[in-house]
Amino acid sequence: MQRKYSNLIWVMAFVMLFVACQEDEYALPEAKTQLQNDCIKRSIGPNVAGLDIEFVYAAALGFGKGKLTNMQVEATIAGAAGTFMEHHSFYTLPNGKDTGIVVASPSVTVGGKTEVTFTRDTVAAALRYYYKIPEDARGKSVSFTFSAKASTGETVTYKMGPYTIANMEMKRNIVLSDNNLAYFSIADMTAYNAADAAANAGKIDLVYLYRAITGITFNHALVAPAADADFRPGITLPAGVSNNVKIQRTWALRDRHLANLQYGIYVDDIDFQELNLSDAPNWAINLRAESGAWVETADGKYRAYIYVNSVNNTARTMTISIKRYTVK
Amino acid sequence: MERIIKISLALIIIVFAGIRCADYPIDEDGLLITERAECYVSNFELLGPDFQTVRTKAAVIDTTAQTINVEVFWGTDLKRLWPQFSLVTDAKLDPKITTWVDFSNLTTPKQWTVIAGNRKVQKTYTVYVTVQTKP
Repeated sequence: MQRKYSNLIWVMAFVMLFVACQEDEYALPEAKTQLQNDCIKRSIGPNVAGLDIEFVYAAALGFGKGKLTNMQVEATIAGAAGTFMEHHSFYTLPNGKDTGIVVASPSVTVGGKTEVTFTRDTVAAALRYYYKIPEDARGKSVSFTFSAKASTGETVTYKMGPYTIANMEMKRNIVLSDNNLAYFSIADMTAYNAADAAANAGKIDLVYLYRAITGITFNHALVAPAADADFRPGITLPAGVSNNVKIQRTWALRDRHLANLQYGIYVDDIDFQELNLSDAPNWAINLRAESGAWVETADGKYRAYIYVNSVNNTARTMTISIKRYTVK
Repeated sequence: MERIIKISLALIIIVFAGIRCADYPIDEDGLLITERAECYVSNFELLGPDFQTVRTKAAVIDTTAQTINVEVFWGTDLKRLWPQFSLVTDAKLDPKITTWVDFSNLTTPKQWTVIAGNRKVQKTYTVYVTVQTKP
């Protein structure tokens, strides 16, 4: 029996010896010398009019083969004022700080085309491109064609997109105050005082108030003018202010755009399209910093997400940011 | 040598046969029907649309009277609340809670039945919601 196992082990050892891996000799890969390019999109989340879409476009050719002469981007819809391509090439310091070196003249934008011309001998560069989303792109798609030229006469191109531009609109850091700017219009995304609210009565959708009531938790609240008077104690509504809205409080929905680039959640068009507030009340009390509320206007024209940036019990104020979607 | 291997294998088989899992039946929800007859609610939570509690204090669970009394904050929207029951081991709840529950009709309290692990004992709990009074 022992002899049988011994033979088997010898046979297996011989088989392993013959099928052992063969060692391949390593050779350094040869870099391509012709002009080549690449591109990444740096910005994430929904593309909202007024914000940037940010790219990094890189081009390079072999050392000693020539130099880059220019780079350009062509957008299918011309960007808004503030669209530009960096004329700095960045490297990162050991402390993590990006440091730019001027390699080209400042970019020139004409229509949808943005171009930089290199002013330094450069064989490789990665330039950032900021496309400021224009109002007329809302709800449409936009694509980009990046290209680079070299002194060798070579040209390379790289297409990015299409990217859908969201329908929703956004306004940030609106201050509401209990004793002054207490009336908020979703149609205007603006806070009004009592006198202006009376002049715009049909547009007032929410009343802001702060009450510290012993025995219950009321604090900072947004209520519809049509809400029960219990939910707006001590408030006499300006003449004609009577709209009703549906409002539903949320927690831990800290939209990155509205929270001034903190956190990693985004409210997008689809959230408004699928929102169902049919059973929602017309009040939201005890709103805290970093909470929020979904709102739908009485006429069903607008749906909105209101994010509470901060509250101040002493000053009796609340700072909000809003994303608004037009339903009809 | 061969004899030792055979004896070892036989012992392993005997040990495994002895400690095999009991073959419990499965109910219509794919849950094991066990021998437990205990049937009660051990904890109760009530969440608002923002998934935060709306209770002002811990719910009072009476396992004899089979009632749950819970007080919610003034201003709570009673139409859209999500109750959460913690049950004794192996028990299950009927009807299942798969969406928001409307508690706005305070005069007609909601009821849920706890079914024990052996599926032979059932106890119906009534949930009484009261709203914190405004001073």
